[in-house]
Amino acid sequence: MKTSSIVGTSVPRQEGRAKVTGQARYVDDITLPNMLHGATVRSRIPRGKIKTITFASSINWNEFTIVTAADIPGKNCITLIEDDQPCLADKIINHPEEPILLLAHPDRHLLPKAVEAVHIEYDSLPAIFTLEESERQAQQIWGVDNIFKTYLIEKGDPDAAFQNADHIVEAEYTTGAQEQLYIENNGMIAAFDAQQGLTVWGSMQCPYYIHKALIKLFALPADRVRVVQVETGGAFGGKEEYPSMIAAHAALLAQKSGKPVKIVYDRLEDMAATTKRHPSRTRHRTAVTKDGKILGGEIDFTIDGGAYKTLSPVVLSRGAIHAGGAYYWPSIRIRAKAVATNAPPQGAFRGFGAPQSLFALERHMDRIAQVVGLSPEEIRRRNFLQPGQTTTTSQTVNEQIDLNKLLDRALELSDHKSKKEQFAAQNQLSTTRKKGIGLATFLHGAGFTGSGERYLGSIVGVEACSDGILRILVSSTEFGQGTNTVLCQIVAEALGIRYEDVAIAQPDTHEVPNSGPTVASRTVMVVGKLVQSAAAGIKKTLTAAGLLEDSYSPEQFRAACRAYVTQHGKLSSLAQYEQPNDIVWDEEKYQGSAYAAFAWAVYVAEVTVDLTTYTATVDDFVALQEIGKVLHPVLAKGQIIGGVAQGIGFALYEKVVWDQGRMQNGQMTNYIMPTSADLPNIRVYFEELGNVHGAFGAKGIGELPMDGPAPAIINAIEDALHVPFNSIPLLPEDIFAALEKREVREVVLSSARGRE
Amino acid sequence: MRANPAEYDLVAPRTLPVVLSLLAQEPGAWLPIAGGTDVMVQYSAGKLSARNLVSIWNLSELRKIEISTEEIQIGAGCTYTDLLQHEIVNREFPLLSRAAGWTGSIANQNRGTLGGNIVNASPAADSLPALLAYEAELLLVSASGERRIPYAGFHIAYRKTQLAPGELIRAICLKRSFSGYYAHARKVGARNAQAISKVSLAALGRIADGVVDDIRLAMGSVAPVPVRLTEAERIVKGKSIDSELIHLARATAAAEVRPIDDIRSTLRYRSAVAGNLVAEFLEQLRASHERAGKSSAVLARWNVLSVDKAAEEILPCCGSKSWAREMANRRPVTDEASILAACDQIWEDLPESDWLEAFRSHPRIGESRSPVSSSAQSATWSGQEQQNVGLAREAVKAILAEANRAYEKRFNRIFIVCATGKSAPEILEILRRRLQNDEPTELHEAAEQQRQIAHLRLKKWLTL
Amino acid sequence: MTNAPRARAKCEISFTVNGKPETVRAHPMARLLDVLRFDLGLTGTKEGCGEGECGSCSVLLDGALVNSCLIPALQATGTHILTIEGLAQDARAQLLQQSFLDCGGAQCGICTPGMILAAHHLLHKKSQPTLDEIREGLSGNLCRCTGYMQIFEAVADAASRGAST
Repeated sequence: MKTSSIVGTSVPRQEGRAKVTGQARYVDDITLPNMLHGATVRSRIPRGKIKTITFASSINWNEFTIVTAADIPGKNCITLIEDDQPCLADKIINHPEEPILLLAHPDRHLLPKAVEAVHIEYDSLPAIFTLEESERQAQQIWGVDNIFKTYLIEKGDPDAAFQNADHIVEAEYTTGAQEQLYIENNGMIAAFDAQQGLTVWGSMQCPYYIHKALIKLFALPADRVRVVQVETGGAFGGKEEYPSMIAAHAALLAQKSGKPVKIVYDRLEDMAATTKRHPSRTRHRTAVTKDGKILGGEIDFTIDGGAYKTLSPVVLSRGAIHAGGAYYWPSIRIRAKAVATNAPPQGAFRGFGAPQSLFALERHMDRIAQVVGLSPEEIRRRNFLQPGQTTTTSQTVNEQIDLNKLLDRALELSDHKSKKEQFAAQNQLSTTRKKGIGLATFLHGAGFTGSGERYLGSIVGVEACSDGILRILVSSTEFGQGTNTVLCQIVAEALGIRYEDVAIAQPDTHEVPNSGPTVASRTVMVVGKLVQSAAAGIKKTLTAAGLLEDSYSPEQFRAACRAYVTQHGKLSSLAQYEQPNDIVWDEEKYQGSAYAAFAWAVYVAEVTVDLTTYTATVDDFVALQEIGKVLHPVLAKGQIIGGVAQGIGFALYEKVVWDQGRMQNGQMTNYIMPTSADLPNIRVYFEELGNVHGAFGAKGIGELPMDGPAPAIINAIEDALHVPFNSIPLLPEDIFAALEKREVREVVLSSARGRE
Repeated sequence: MRANPAEYDLVAPRTLPVVLSLLAQEPGAWLPIAGGTDVMVQYSAGKLSARNLVSIWNLSELRKIEISTEEIQIGAGCTYTDLLQHEIVNREFPLLSRAAGWTGSIANQNRGTLGGNIVNASPAADSLPALLAYEAELLLVSASGERRIPYAGFHIAYRKTQLAPGELIRAICLKRSFSGYYAHARKVGARNAQAISKVSLAALGRIADGVVDDIRLAMGSVAPVPVRLTEAERIVKGKSIDSELIHLARATAAAEVRPIDDIRSTLRYRSAVAGNLVAEFLEQLRASHERAGKSSAVLARWNVLSVDKAAEEILPCCGSKSWAREMANRRPVTDEASILAACDQIWEDLPESDWLEAFRSHPRIGESRSPVSSSAQSATWSGQEQQNVGLAREAVKAILAEANRAYEKRFNRIFIVCATGKSAPEILEILRRRLQNDEPTELHEAAEQQRQIAHLRLKKWLTL
Repeated sequence: MTNAPRARAKCEISFTVNGKPETVRAHPMARLLDVLRFDLGLTGTKEGCGEGECGSCSVLLDGALVNSCLIPALQATGTHILTIEGLAQDARAQLLQQSFLDCGGAQCGICTPGMILAAHHLLHKKSQPTLDEIREGLSGNLCRCTGYMQIFEAVADAASRGAST
């Protein structure tokens, strides 16, 4: 057995060399013989009915393949939680950019003009664009009440808490839409063969989601639909649902034309038409004692899901469950709802509801601190969850997490105390620059919520190749976060073999079982643990066959695999998820163990606000988190830094400008993501408490870093300016408007005083 | 990519006369394209209405910079990189070179041209305020000849210019009369790089006999065309800068501009920031004048000392005796810019042993005494630079001391870092990173830090 | 004078790519990016935005870093172009690639070819850049995965390895 560890070491990225040499092949790098290019004709109105469709005579339509809803063999829907989202709009339009018609042609350059030459007349209907309009049902656009889903989480007696409170602190917080902005736009290639059926290759997170959607759309049996993931250039949740739509479109064109079809979006289309982070509004009403202890509260959490249900219920669920954060709530009532508006459906984006509700909570904690007269650190200390206490869903904290110590360490790493004093002094002296420091303390649950993992019933496989290399078979995809690398590490470590002797199969639904979607920070923790089991199964088979001793070298293991395959033809081992007995969840009451494991974090942000330009810049950032076990230091650090960068964008830069449900700033010039010149040194630190439910003690970390930056930064800005901001993104224009208002108010007040 | 290349024609004549003759033959039929950083964006978006293009990229007649004693003529085909690399542009026209460095990315600076920026005529164009401030003139050329016009007024209305059909800008002329001015430029965008400006200011000012003798305030993105703030200039000119004047100038500028609400920003924000930028400029103009006054006095006195005394006085800024001696030998030095430039040149050429001598003049980070006894002045400055470190908790100081020891063990000298503004934990991060460096890299990093320290100290010395 | 579109002929455009002379038949206004990717099959250079903002399409043209999505093919006539594929033989670039691997500079990899070209260009101009110079030198290349820091580390790492060879 090897004594040096592979898990815990930064081994080479499995597909790294291909990436740094430009050899990695993404969907738009792939060309098939006779391939056509596809394009989508989309709605120009937010809501209404299609009246007529005419094809202008300036185009030679004979050269084009044209697909409408009538061409759909099965059910015209992109199946997800519900079947309400059509693949192609037939008569009814519910959002701008809704796909209506598809075109294909051998020359991709002819498509933009052809799309413009399809003239559609509509009978418009009144549309709604805000969460508020939807709530008060200014129009009924979905179901009977515009509500996709509601949840109610209750614990204890919040009404009694309000009776007994010394302070009741109320406020409202909002977050805007955010575009995932993966640098590789969405794309798919589809080919249809009469015998073999349908094959789709593309940029995606969840091959089996696409598989499920195509089966229903084409009314094909499962084995006649094949979905293959190719190298994917970033996803962040933005390629969880929408790829099913694009795959469907490419497939329909492929079926109709008899040729392979590639659809690749350009940036403008990708931004305008695909999913974004759900805008949110959270209302807090909290009962607090004069010593700053939370007695209870009410949280009203509402998200805007766009025109169709898609994944909104799950985003809502996660947001609602995280709404109480890392604190002990003796009582609470969380009312959550997801509502419909006439915008393109919103969807998954790293964090998936938690960044929204945690922004509100972490801002609210600072507000509570002010009301009670304590520091932001102290208010948190007095309310941190302790081991043995229960969360808002009454889940008992089973691990020895010490949030006070975590906070201590973060404060020290960020030099918090001396900086706070220093800034207070400096701010007195400067009228042009104000500095501030702020923090956020939070948690993030890994894996699917509640019974989610049980419903998924993920299956993984490990098989031996004839040369003795082990190959991991999962539908979990690599899109930069390190799936390939970490899963191979886990197998190598579990078996005591070399990392180089483990490979991972390309996710191809013909070749790999359904290990569930690559989302929810579940890959390392849940799938990794299954892969660990499957690997153990291989060893067990070899040992039972007398080919392996109890103690062996990597070479011996490899030889044993080769021998077994030679003798028996095939060596493989499957493992399927079983819900551990200690994870019990009540779907009705929405109570119990929401997640198998939580990662915990304290983030500290230091900002400067330039009062000449009202620009806030993050100067320093400390990200400290407890994540079970660091399986790959470089990858783990990269995940945190990347997530923090996106969180900084969420807080200060990334605004989606809407007009009548359409994104107006859908280019990289006008949708502002931070460049290298905008980000500070992001300092990352880890702690490891282990995790019995995760491979080698790991917890999920992909989404955690998205939750903390925005509230820490806005808290820091309030520290700098003594003006509260409750809405993100917070742009210089917003800071200016607030300061101008304060100035006006002060002038009015002082002139009023002057008159007295 | 929403355009069909098959619908477009692009020709690339070798010389300017051929281009001009083509433009003359079919007026309005040919759209000139230089680096393409504007035209190709429109093209890719499917928004380029022109179908015939003529390339003026890299024409030798357009891509040269000619210097005379009176003026500089910048070929319209010069790229932003060409400007950034030109010594005289950098030294005498810093507003223009700042603007060149702001524009887009290095890749776009390598292709975007000054002429293109002017003709594209976006009110947000980065270089245009600088050209207004410098009162540039344009050389326009066509098949029928050449004419020279003031740049001011070239932009008639939003994206409309005085360029006649068949005409190109051949060169931009700038008078070499701005060395005595204080130059200040600032661009406000949505982020620090690759941003379209929301508001920008290119300003020049000169103070003589205590009053503002000349002032130019040029702004972009606050009107349909780039503008000079003539009202604000008028109320400042001839006055001495005090807080009342700054307050008035701010308000005047904010009221004078005509910005709009658009996808990038708001009218109110732009107006307020315009006022703030003008106020900031006036503050800096005043401060620079005061500094220059002080520096002049310090330098005037220093210039006439003996070589030994001059070297002795300047030694605390760096710690290397050879450096100090060389600096003394560079006298007379007249201003801050020259002394900093001299510092850099001399420092770079020193042998390693002199660098090490300089390093030894510093106390360890976290301590107050240097390995080799240095002057009281040096010790005072060290104390100021390490101010934030002093605030650190004992635990951190202990870790820092330990890390310092590890560094010294590895590299055989103390760890040098420009500590000003940095906290102990930040310094610790830097130290830990640099501990991984190999010897040659680390020597260079330390030397660069020393150079930064020297700059800070020279500036302090000049204003003592 | 009319702007009515009519089909224009392709023409022969010659340039050198990665040291090899190439002639393509393309429309003069075809984007250099598309010519590289589809006419020459050099798919290492990527399209991320089509407007010169993201830098994924960066190549070196006569030694200068440029965004190939903004260059009409005709303007590349007679030039020497270097793409990510061409760096395979370059010793300094190989150091850079190894540093990217070791430091986590590539996650999803889509920005990586452009980043490496930009870093290669930077190190050519300044072999020992400071952190600020690296930050600035790469500010035209957007990365959504890494938050840039491990990319900076990779460039600094390559610089220091280069110094000791």
